[in-house]
Amino acid sequence: MSKLKKLVTFKHWQRSTKTAVILIVAALVLVFVLSAINVSEQDMLNNASPAIKQIIEEEKTSSRKSLTITYNNLGVMNYISFTTSGASAIKESYVGFAGAIYGADEGGWKFAGQMVNYTYRMLGTGENLLHGVKLTLLLTTLSMGIGAIMSVFLALGKISENKLISKISSAYIFFFRGTPLLIQMFVIYFSVPGIFGFSWRSLFSAGDPEAVYKGAFIAALIAFSLNAAAYCAEIVRAAIQSIDKGQNEAAKALGMSYGQMMRTIIIPQSIRRMIPPLCNEFVMMIKDVSLVFAISLMDITTISKTIMTSEGNYLVFIPALLIYLVITAIFTLLFGKIEKRLSIYE
Amino acid sequence: MIKKLFALALSVMMLLSFAACAAKTAEEVPAAAAASVDMSSVKLMQDGVLTVGMEIGYPPFEDFAEDGTTPIGYDIDFAKALGEKLGVTVNFVNTAWDGIFQGIGVNYDCVISAVTITEERKASMLFSEPYINNYQAVVVKKDYAGKIASFLDLNGLSISVQKETTSDILMSDYVSTGSIDATISANEKVTTCFTQLENGEVDAVVVDSTVADGYLASNPDKFVKIFQDESEPEQFGVAVAMDNTALQAAINDAIAKLTAEGFFESNVAYWFGK
Repeated sequence: MSKLKKLVTFKHWQRSTKTAVILIVAALVLVFVLSAINVSEQDMLNNASPAIKQIIEEEKTSSRKSLTITYNNLGVMNYISFTTSGASAIKESYVGFAGAIYGADEGGWKFAGQMVNYTYRMLGTGENLLHGVKLTLLLTTLSMGIGAIMSVFLALGKISENKLISKISSAYIFFFRGTPLLIQMFVIYFSVPGIFGFSWRSLFSAGDPEAVYKGAFIAALIAFSLNAAAYCAEIVRAAIQSIDKGQNEAAKALGMSYGQMMRTIIIPQSIRRMIPPLCNEFVMMIKDVSLVFAISLMDITTISKTIMTSEGNYLVFIPALLIYLVITAIFTLLFGKIEKRLSIYE
Repeated sequence: MIKKLFALALSVMMLLSFAACAAKTAEEVPAAAAASVDMSSVKLMQDGVLTVGMEIGYPPFEDFAEDGTTPIGYDIDFAKALGEKLGVTVNFVNTAWDGIFQGIGVNYDCVISAVTITEERKASMLFSEPYINNYQAVVVKKDYAGKIASFLDLNGLSISVQKETTSDILMSDYVSTGSIDATISANEKVTTCFTQLENGEVDAVVVDSTVADGYLASNPDKFVKIFQDESEPEQFGVAVAMDNTALQAAINDAIAKLTAEGFFESNVAYWFGK
């Protein structure tokens, strides 16, 4: 009860916590107010020049559609653009901010509009889970999760006294650490189906237009999990072996079995030591996910490269960097908290 | 308990990830009511749908519009017209260029992605009749004072090409055989070449004429196509699986009909402004 009281009494908070909370609340309020007063999509559409409106009218009846209307709403700021394809391309864009609409074809508003558009696309807003940030997060967490579970068995296998199990585990780790992840992914995506006569796409119904991407995702998930397992296994093994031999002997002297000793004494202590290198591995994995460009999936890096190709704008890499930084910061913080919590064992 | 919860959370995430995968990027085009090409013997991966593989990221042939999801380009319009003639809907699958041909017959029925018809490729896949001609072209700045009437005139200049393209191979041949003495800068992306040209880092860009036309049409006051080598045309075709002769025949039939209707002229005019 006293704990709860301490938590809700603002006076008792640490100074740094106070500042952080005030800043976050202020930012949230600002975001909320700016989103609330921002212009609506309809207003943005109505703002188009007469020429564009005429094209929109004409296209209602023509078979060739050349106009693309892009509307990106990031809450605080929204962006709309009217682009026609083909050799004589017309482009018109606007940014909505704080209740007003600004032309975004040149100057500072152009930059702001581009940033909104690029960020929106990289976040994969309005798309399914196999796009942008969502793909990066999904693939990283799933493959690290599966990899971490596998790695415990691999690590115990490697330090096992059974020669066969030890050799098999060592060989697995040697193989997956000794070959590049990109090639492992190629082998799983291209070679394995070729050898065994199936296709990743056929795992899903033929009528599903996204079946190819889902198939590629499964292949990538398998490759990343197998690879993560090998790297994590070495982390787990090192952590287990770093626990003082004396504990081992004491457990034996108490008449504990190997399993009891591992479960109740060694592994709980080694977990804390695993956290920093596992966090490291996790952060590496976030960036390794960009390799999926090679098998047609669109993660943050691939999307930024696509934008670079079609618009030749190097500024696209700025929001890409920021998005990566934010993701990494969140996970670093999370792992830091976990590490702190587990420190009670030391 | 924790393990169970974790397993549950994992399975829920897996489920969610696929449940959420509703049709999105792949664009469906409503089929024409009546097919004008005989499709009775053609076997598609999915009945009534032509699945087309392409590397979306090669403007003006295939590219994403600014919304990041709508495919646009010469090949897109061609594929849609093809689908209309075949009486099927078209589903585009965006795929990486590496390994694009391995996916034919596995992930998609055919590849329409500015694929040059070559003898080497013919050994492992079938090609339709060519649907556009492409040449190697030299692009310079508008105020370029010199005269370039053949590739030999590039002697002494610095040139920019896109890495591992026909242009790159051609220029490397000219330099390695000693025909010309030029510095070549090979870039990952063709847009980089034009940026280099604009910034004055190179004197000329050697590039596919189709790409040059598309780029020049949208930047008419900056660059000019000074030379185009018409002696060696390259032709782009639709690639289909080696054993799918029925589809090849149907596509050829459709291309013949589109040619007769003047589709290609209007598509070229639309995308390359000629």
